[in-house]
Amino acid sequence: MASRRRTLLKVIILGDSGVGKTSLMNQYVNKKFSNQYKATIGADFLTKEVQFEDRLFTLQIWDTAGQERFQSLGVAFYRGADCCVLVYDVNSMKSFDNLNNWREEFLIQASPSDPDNFPFVLLGNKVDVDGGNSRVVSEKKAKAWCASKGNIPYFETSAKDGTNVEDAFQCIVKNALKNEPEEELYVPDTVDVVGGNRAQRSSGCC
Amino acid sequence: MRGGDAAAAAEEGSPRSPDLHDLSDDSDYAAAAAATASDHTAMRTDSADTGSDETTRIDVVYEKERVTIHPTQYGSGRISGKLRLFLQQGSLFLSWEPNEGDGSLSTSSVAVEIDKYRNLYTIKALPLSDVRFIRRHTPTFGLDYIIIVLSSGLAFPPFYFYNGGIRELFATLKQHVFIIRSDDDPNVFLVNDFQDPLQKSLSSLELPGVASVANAMSRQNSLSFTGSVDETRHADDGRHGAASSMSQYSSKQKPKSNDPGRDLSIQVLEKFSLVTKFARDTTSSLFRDNIGAHAYGRQQHGYALDNQASDKQKNQYVTPEKDYVPSAPVESDPIPLVWGKQRDRPLSVEEWTAFLDPEGRVMDSKALRKKVFYGGIDHVLRKEVWKFLLGYHEYDSTYAEREYLTAMKRAEYEAIKSQWKSISATQAKRFTKFRERKGLIDKDVVRTDRSVPYYEGDENRNVVVLRDILLTYSFYNFDLGYCQGMSDFLAPILYIMEDESESFWCFASLMERLGANFNRDQNGMHAQLLALSKLVELLDPPLHNYFRQNDCLNYFFCFRWVLIQFKREFSFEQIMLLWEVLWTHYLSEHFHLYLCVAILKRYRQRIIGEQMDFDTLLKFINELSGQINLDRAIQDAEALCTIAGENGASCIPPGTPPSMPIETDGGLYVQQDEVL
Repeated sequence: MASRRRTLLKVIILGDSGVGKTSLMNQYVNKKFSNQYKATIGADFLTKEVQFEDRLFTLQIWDTAGQERFQSLGVAFYRGADCCVLVYDVNSMKSFDNLNNWREEFLIQASPSDPDNFPFVLLGNKVDVDGGNSRVVSEKKAKAWCASKGNIPYFETSAKDGTNVEDAFQCIVKNALKNEPEEELYVPDTVDVVGGNRAQRSSGCC
Repeated sequence: MRGGDAAAAAEEGSPRSPDLHDLSDDSDYAAAAAATASDHTAMRTDSADTGSDETTRIDVVYEKERVTIHPTQYGSGRISGKLRLFLQQGSLFLSWEPNEGDGSLSTSSVAVEIDKYRNLYTIKALPLSDVRFIRRHTPTFGLDYIIIVLSSGLAFPPFYFYNGGIRELFATLKQHVFIIRSDDDPNVFLVNDFQDPLQKSLSSLELPGVASVANAMSRQNSLSFTGSVDETRHADDGRHGAASSMSQYSSKQKPKSNDPGRDLSIQVLEKFSLVTKFARDTTSSLFRDNIGAHAYGRQQHGYALDNQASDKQKNQYVTPEKDYVPSAPVESDPIPLVWGKQRDRPLSVEEWTAFLDPEGRVMDSKALRKKVFYGGIDHVLRKEVWKFLLGYHEYDSTYAEREYLTAMKRAEYEAIKSQWKSISATQAKRFTKFRERKGLIDKDVVRTDRSVPYYEGDENRNVVVLRDILLTYSFYNFDLGYCQGMSDFLAPILYIMEDESESFWCFASLMERLGANFNRDQNGMHAQLLALSKLVELLDPPLHNYFRQNDCLNYFFCFRWVLIQFKREFSFEQIMLLWEVLWTHYLSEHFHLYLCVAILKRYRQRIIGEQMDFDTLLKFINELSGQINLDRAIQDAEALCTIAGENGASCIPPGTPPSMPIETDGGLYVQQDEVL
């Protein structure tokens, strides 16, 4: 259990249907974009080995169905998440307005031990569309929202051409590790000393 | 309403007001105190099989009669029972037990049917630490009810309080567990699990299987596998890190058995042997059928269920050609299933014509369905035959009647379609629901089966038709609306029908049965996943135990299979065959669930051997897409369905999709919250 916590980072991608969750995941993991993804039914995940500050992690990225109606399934999928990535489409105000719902629903269903400090990262996707002319959510507005939620890191991405995707996930990994000390507390007493060290080192990363 | 219940009296004594739910209200405590004063009888009970220790003390802190579930929407199809909260060794548990021979049930055939499911819903002792939240519903009209959702994601069916008492329930809960109201929804009460892994694990270990909704069935069998009783004792002694040690412990234990595969198969055989003489007879007749049909061709192995099926020593694989030929490496389950019939040729034009009388009536619909079940339909006939299978056309309709119906329905379709067609841009601006619904459909049709030539390429006209049909359907059935997955169902139908109106009505007929898959409360899906769990428990207890030990009983890894009936698991060609097989409802309306069991059984060796946890299992199942041998899966499912017989059918509560929903006074698809 303890060793698993140290190497596996679980990240959940949430956001409205069609904002590009699956595409972002595939761009990051497989460096590919396809116009032919299907709507995600249920949930799926991809894994990627990542190195962060000389440590090797398996990043497990969960992609879930975007329709609100399937939110109740989250209980099973969100458990043990280290970071939640919220995605909206910069060309859709509705997808931006729904971010509050996604964030709150996540906190209810995943019920992290410290909800106030649980790491989120926000991605405004599809910045490539129509050369930015169809954009309806400004960067300023998105950043204001992030500030109001405890300074959530924000990236503007294009899953299609790869813009900022790598950087965004670097940040996601970093933030996922913020949560790590919490989890380490569950390590049995016998390795408590190790757990203590780990906690210090991790907080150094953030 | 019968009085005499202190809690009920307390409830009646206080006026209803909107803030009744507020847990901080002192009157709650008063009510609870009143309830407790009379109900709080420390009693010794033998009803809970949780402790072998006779001195295990159970303190009932809340008890309410006439807490009822409505497995169907029939008035008579209600199961009344007793809801209790009790303390045992410092932990709070919830139980619900149906009344014996409830006098309130009418003697209708429905009631008799319902009676069979009585025990399916029994909750023996659910530790509150396993509860994620409880949602209370206080509709303006009708009874108050609660829905209990477990940490595993499993939800119990709604409990309706005929005698009131929800307020006392929450007040009592509040006295014993940490419970908070969700900021998001004042009717959601989050139940804290104390963040105490020890307590949590102990309670789950002491009560194996508590998280499964009903474990009345074959409980003994479950317990006998891989010494889970010993595990319990072991954990009891240890009382430390029990949760994590449990899986380690069992994983250490399992490989020790000399030949796990063989042991498991014996388990399966034993289980099968319990399924009465009927199963044996059927199986041996299947066995004979296969010999007659030269079935050795592909399936080289099978086992016979003979009269000594329960005798481990005498049970051996029957390998008709002596050499045991293992299946393809990826499908490494060495445990062969009883044979299903060899797949037949598709229904041909000549055969189809022979089924029709001169006026076009299908003379023997059962024989037709049987034929399609075993062989599917020649592609050129699908357009015609699917309309019967889907229920759009009646089997006993004539050519003339069908022609008339088609014309009528075409006009009706156009009328419904014009409802949204006539919405102007300015009107749409003020019609958010419409815009959002249309937006969702637009997003999905362009990512539905686009690799199929019929839907390929930019500006594809058929994609627009898909969109129009779905949008029209969302007006036809406004309560249900549009939900992801519907486009997956529609695409093959439109491909076959090549006609907008006909496709619409076929799709609408299909949704009569499967609409509940898309209900917002996900009840249709929960019912099916629950039934699946019961079927696996019946047909493969070791696998069931494995899932239980690994916290996989919610069966969410089969969610995609069930929601869109394997659409994403097979090729477009294959899915048309599978669906027409399912739509015959020949052996069972719920054949798709047996198919789930069959596929899981195929891969059970890998699942158990590789000790897959929930995540790994979900990934594994998702990646089976395109890998499953369809013919074999259907054959296996057929055998399982036959073997399970009545016992299988009773695992599936009435009204479970794709059974036809039962008419209610209100709408069928009323969504509690959002319309979208």
